[in-house]
Amino acid sequence: MAEKNLGAEPRATVSLREGESRPTLLRRRRARPDRHSRKRVAFMHYGYYDVAFQYFTEHVLDADYVRMPAPTRRTLEIGSEHSNDYVCAPFKHILGDYVEALEAGANVLVQFTGYCRLTYYGELQEMILRDMGYDDFEMLNFSFVSGRPFKDYVAYCKKVVNPNLSVAAGVANMLVLLRMVKHLDAYNDYYLANAGFEVEPRSFERAREAFFEDMRCCSTMADVDQAFRRGMDALRALPTSKPERPVRVGIVGESFTAADPASNLEIERKLLSMRVELARTLNITNFILRYSEENARRSAAPYVTYDMGPTSSLTISAAKRYIEEGFDGVVHVKSSGCTPEIDCMPPLQRLARDYRAPILFLTYDSQTSDTGLDTRLEAFYDMLAMRKERTI
Amino acid sequence: MPSARRVRRALAAAAAPAPFADARVIGLPRALMAYRLGAKWRAFFEELGREVRVSEPSDRGVFERGQALSVDECCLASKLFLGHVDALAGEVDAVFVPSLSGSDALHTYCTKFQALPDLVRSAFALAGREVRVLDALLAEGGAEKDERASYVELAARLGATRREGERAWRAACRAQRDRDASLARAQAELVAASSRLPRAERPLAILVAAHPYVAHDPFVAGPVTDALRAAGATVLFADEFDHARATRRSHDFSATLPWIVNRELVGAVLELHDAVDGIVLVSAFPCGPDSMTDDAIALCVKGRPVLTLTVDAQSGTAGVETRVESFVDILTYQRRGGYLNG
Repeated sequence: MAEKNLGAEPRATVSLREGESRPTLLRRRRARPDRHSRKRVAFMHYGYYDVAFQYFTEHVLDADYVRMPAPTRRTLEIGSEHSNDYVCAPFKHILGDYVEALEAGANVLVQFTGYCRLTYYGELQEMILRDMGYDDFEMLNFSFVSGRPFKDYVAYCKKVVNPNLSVAAGVANMLVLLRMVKHLDAYNDYYLANAGFEVEPRSFERAREAFFEDMRCCSTMADVDQAFRRGMDALRALPTSKPERPVRVGIVGESFTAADPASNLEIERKLLSMRVELARTLNITNFILRYSEENARRSAAPYVTYDMGPTSSLTISAAKRYIEEGFDGVVHVKSSGCTPEIDCMPPLQRLARDYRAPILFLTYDSQTSDTGLDTRLEAFYDMLAMRKERTI
Repeated sequence: MPSARRVRRALAAAAAPAPFADARVIGLPRALMAYRLGAKWRAFFEELGREVRVSEPSDRGVFERGQALSVDECCLASKLFLGHVDALAGEVDAVFVPSLSGSDALHTYCTKFQALPDLVRSAFALAGREVRVLDALLAEGGAEKDERASYVELAARLGATRREGERAWRAACRAQRDRDASLARAQAELVAASSRLPRAERPLAILVAAHPYVAHDPFVAGPVTDALRAAGATVLFADEFDHARATRRSHDFSATLPWIVNRELVGAVLELHDAVDGIVLVSAFPCGPDSMTDDAIALCVKGRPVLTLTVDAQSGTAGVETRVESFVDILTYQRRGGYLNG
């Protein structure tokens, strides 16, 4: 080809024209309308997922996100003051979060739906908040559209938050959000398995904070992937001194309390500081994105035959897997009065008896003192370590 | 060929396993949903030619047996359930323990009802006791064809054919419908008769809103209803009301209340609101659905005094009696035009 063109006439020429430069594209007559909504959206505190909540607000709903500081003792006090005594503890935590968010100027509160009392959380919390005198807010309560087609979800988000919401961009960003959640969970799995053996104190925690801030700035799929890679590289580069046979503990339990450090009095940090390798199957990736209740139930056989509640099959199958994989102990974390998880306890006790494996049952209410928890965890750890020494 | 026949027989057994074909006497624990659906279950098993034995009403002995088998944090009603299963365990061929599943997230039962078969098996295994559990997944309150299919499957496990199963299910539904209708009719007549009396002579009408297994269990809400009757009040029950009508009405109250039984109660509270002088909410400690619904009722239902009672087995009945008596006294004074005119 090249030989053939040699000496032939040039196909195109480029010349410079005198005068002012012109834009290559014609300017739009009308500026593209700004689709952003000025509604200020707030979520509850739920572990490290506020990064994902922020992405959901800013890139899917296209509204302002109210970023809340870590919950304090006051948060829980407000929450428990205004709820029934024997409602489950997450209700109180979330109610406190909402009050603080409203005080910070939020005007949309988001609540999810589930297969237990969680379904009714949103409506009752809205009633209580209005009864307390907050009336300048709306609730984005996904229970209202639970089980309905996708277009109802879109219509509901448009109605409550952003009428100009772009569905195309929202759906595309939703996929990014799912990837982000998977990355956050994968990062956390590595963190839990290794942070107990850090050489420099708090080095893992600092790296994790930096990773979350990095993730917070992401907007595209490539950003999210790169931030994850950077974060994991930084984490892997940290020096650790992992013993040959570390004490390994699996955490199972109720979906809110087991995953939220503010609700479980930072049980993960406490166990990590005892140089324990941790694992927690319960996260959004495993419980929602990749969850198959039937499969979980099959792997929990013969301890479970029916679907016992939202997280029951996951709890029991995860505990069984930990024990079969040779973990030294399992911690079952739940809030007081959580019916599905209370019903998990007899099967778990049976599991513990059959496999001769220690399971520590922890029940959290709206308490703020953690001395009792420290004692129990230390005793549990000592017992596990002694058992470990005696076995080969 | 004998071996081929054996294979064929094994295949047939695998295709239609009827592990409970030999169970002649079925035990029905008088607890939890048996108070709501007991007539149906009883008629179902009787239609299939089984003898049904219902356990005796709850008392302290049943409770203590149940408590020994349960986790401490369980609710009072579920402890009683285990007590009833224990009472039946040695006396019958199999104890019927169904798992109830709702149709979707907004039409559910308390997760306790889903978990019962596994709960009973684990609890008895831990205690080293023998119990033969006739378990089944019942699509109660879902679409009619799902419900029928779930009952037919249960019948198949008892060794009945599909046709027999469907007939039994129809008879069961009829029995339940008749029972619900007669209770609702009796209560409606009571309300009508009371409204015909002159205002001054009318006895106080108090509506007890509680799960059927709380309201009608002599060990749980028995002291409450006894105290109300002793104080001269007419006791109405929110669960003895047209369930379909109550469910429809409950949509005025809430769009997302997920529990079918609580919906029936709330709807009945709204429907009977004008016909009663006061409302007593009774719940068994620590009831999950009630912990939220009672709050919502207290926030939303205005105009009639509401007394919220939480019953657990530790307390004597004196505290309950005092609260009920003072509630009735307040209502009596109020009817006469306040304390100053009494």
